[in-house]
Amino acid sequence: MKKTPILIVDDDEWLAEQYKRSLNSQGYDVTIASHAIAAIQLVDDIHPSAIILDVLLTGSTAFALLHELQSYSDTGDIPVIICTNLAGDLSIEDLKPYGVRRILDKTKMLPSDLLVALRSVLL
Amino acid sequence: MVGPLNDGLPSLVTAAHELKSPLALMRQLALMLEDGGLSDDEQKRMLRQISLTSERALRLTNDLTRSIRLSEALFTLEPINPQQLCEDIIHELEPLFAAHGRNVRVASRKHPLLLVANRDLLRRIIMNFSDNALNYTDINTTIEIKVGSINSGKTIRLGVRDYGPAMPINALKLLRGKLAYAPTTIHARPNSSGLGLYIAGQFADAMNGKIGVIRHRDGATFYVDLQASWQLSLL
Repeated sequence: MKKTPILIVDDDEWLAEQYKRSLNSQGYDVTIASHAIAAIQLVDDIHPSAIILDVLLTGSTAFALLHELQSYSDTGDIPVIICTNLAGDLSIEDLKPYGVRRILDKTKMLPSDLLVALRSVLL
Repeated sequence: MVGPLNDGLPSLVTAAHELKSPLALMRQLALMLEDGGLSDDEQKRMLRQISLTSERALRLTNDLTRSIRLSEALFTLEPINPQQLCEDIIHELEPLFAAHGRNVRVASRKHPLLLVANRDLLRRIIMNFSDNALNYTDINTTIEIKVGSINSGKTIRLGVRDYGPAMPINALKLLRGKLAYAPTTIHARPNSSGLGLYIAGQFADAMNGKIGVIRHRDGATFYVDLQASWQLSLL
C-alpha cells in the first residue's frame, strides 16, 4: 500500500528530523525541505497530502510558499499545518484562505500533537 | 533588571524571540526523550543536540549581556593574529558544525597579518558570523573563514563565507539595513531578528571597526573590517 506523502518545511533540521521519525513510525512517507524554494520544487515532485510548515525560514518566509501554493489549482487544496514559535501572532481565520488548517505552537505543543493535527486534516 | 539595548528598540521582544527557537527545540527533544522508544544511539544523539543547542543559546545571552555593558566596560585593544584566533574559534565550533553535517575551515595565508582589536569582542563577532552561516548554509558544505587586507593594507578584513540558497535582492537590501541599524520588528524579517548581527555591529563599533555583507550567487560573506596593526612592519 502506498504511504501518504507528507512534506515538512522547516529550517531547524534537528526538529524536522524528529518530526519525520515520529511520522514515519506511523506509516507516513515524510520528506523534509529546509527552505521555501526547495519546498516548491518538492511539492511538484512528491505531491504531498499535507504540508507541515514553519513560518520563519531561511530566505523566503512561509507566506511566499503559501502564496505559491494558492496560485495553482492542484496545490491550493493541500492542507497546511503551521508549526511555529510565532503561533501567538497568527490567526487561523486570517490564514484559512491560504490553506492553513491548523496552527501549532512549537513552544507549547507535545510531540503527539503533530500526529493528531495531521490525522485531523487528512480526514 | 534588563534594560533596552538602545532607546526605542524592541530589545526585550527581539531577544526573547531569538531565544525561543533554541528553547523550543530543547523542549521538544527532551519531551521526545521522555516518550521513549528510541535506540541508545538516537538517545545519545538527541542529548548531544540538546547540549549543543543550549550552548548556542548561552552564547547569545552572553553576547547580549556584553553588548548592554559595552559602554560601561573598559577593554584593551591589542595586536592580534586573526588567523590564529580563527583557528581557535574553529576548534571550538567544530563539534557543533559536525553535528549539523557542515564543515568549517580557515583559508590559509602565506603571510601573517596583524590587526588591532579586543580579543574577546572579535572572537564573539566571528562566532556570531559562523553561527549565522551555520543556519544559512546547505548540508555537507564547508563554511570558510578568510583573512585578508584591503585599503592598501591599512584595514584587515575577516570574512565568513557561507554557501546556501542565493539571497533574493529584497532580502539583501533588508539585511544591509539590519547591518546599519537596529533590529527590526519580528514581523519584518525573513528568518531571524538580526539581533546577532546587531550585536556584532556594536562590538565592531567599539573597536573602531565595521561589519558588512557581500552577496554571492550562492551565499554570502559577512565580514568585519578592523584597523591593521603596524607592529609587523616594525620588525
